[in-house]
Amino acid sequence: MVDEDKIKELKERIETAKSINTPPSQKKKESGAGFGFKISTEIIAALVVGVGIGLIVDKYLGTKPFGLIIFFIFGAIAGFLNVYRVMRRIEKQ
Amino acid sequence: MAAKDSPLKQFEIIPYSKTEVGNYDISFTNSSLSMVITVVVITLFLTLTVNPRSLVPTRMQLISELMYNFIAQLLSDTVGDNGKKYFPFVFSIFMFVLIGNMVGMVPYQFTFTSHIIVTFALASVVFIGVTILGFVNHGIKFFTFFYIPGVPFYMHPLLIPIEVISYLSRPISLSVRLFANMLAGHTLLKVFAGFVVAMPFFTGALPLVFIVALTGLEILIAFLQAYVFAILTCLYINDAYHLH
Repeated sequence: MVDEDKIKELKERIETAKSINTPPSQKKKESGAGFGFKISTEIIAALVVGVGIGLIVDKYLGTKPFGLIIFFIFGAIAGFLNVYRVMRRIEKQ
Repeated sequence: MAAKDSPLKQFEIIPYSKTEVGNYDISFTNSSLSMVITVVVITLFLTLTVNPRSLVPTRMQLISELMYNFIAQLLSDTVGDNGKKYFPFVFSIFMFVLIGNMVGMVPYQFTFTSHIIVTFALASVVFIGVTILGFVNHGIKFFTFFYIPGVPFYMHPLLIPIEVISYLSRPISLSVRLFANMLAGHTLLKVFAGFVVAMPFFTGALPLVFIVALTGLEILIAFLQAYVFAILTCLYINDAYHLH
């Protein structure tokens, strides 16, 4: 069919026009300090939450030091998990 | 150095009127004034520049449209078609943080984003909103967000608390990042401004040059942090739709 060919051609033309019109997404160059800052906040935030949960658990269940110790470790692991996810997101871009 | 000359003095909260409701101090402070200025600037700028609705936009209208497009693009890139309805929310947050940072760059103006309670409140709104959104979209199934498929079953007692902590740390990392950047930047500016006065002869010109460069960098950071805040909000909204 002639129509189908025409549509195909038109589609290609639209695609090329689009690719010309939309500029490639500008990548923001980040300074080393900014990058390090991003990573450190992720770790600190997870540690804060872990320690917070640990202290609350200790207070209400009376399991002093163990809740804090266990949730501190969980918090540290969660921090590394956050960092890993941030890195994966950056690498994807 | 006297306390009144401290580089941290700029972050002091000064109440203009004393109002207390119950045990809560709800005085109108310099921080509140700064926020009011921010909201007024945003509202006036966006309404006045877009008001002519000319097909060939003026320079100012172009700025407004640029901001609109920037966030609309961000939402469609990260969330997709579902993101359209969250545009007002993300745009408001982006503009509030961006203009708030910019208002803070004006000399003698208070920077309200340099207080963690402000950024934490903003991040909490995002966090609670996104959590509710997740429950609305997925119901009780939203809890499977913390469940990683394809992991041996005996690992779950370990992994689920870690996932929960990772999720709960979102508002903290979101707020600390914005607050610490603004706090550090503004303190650094004031410290170097102190050097200008303290250094002998004309060597004070050196830190002065540095301040000019730092001010430029601060404006970049002000924009970048608003952008980061907006893009993370978009990513969290996306997570509320697609659990894994």
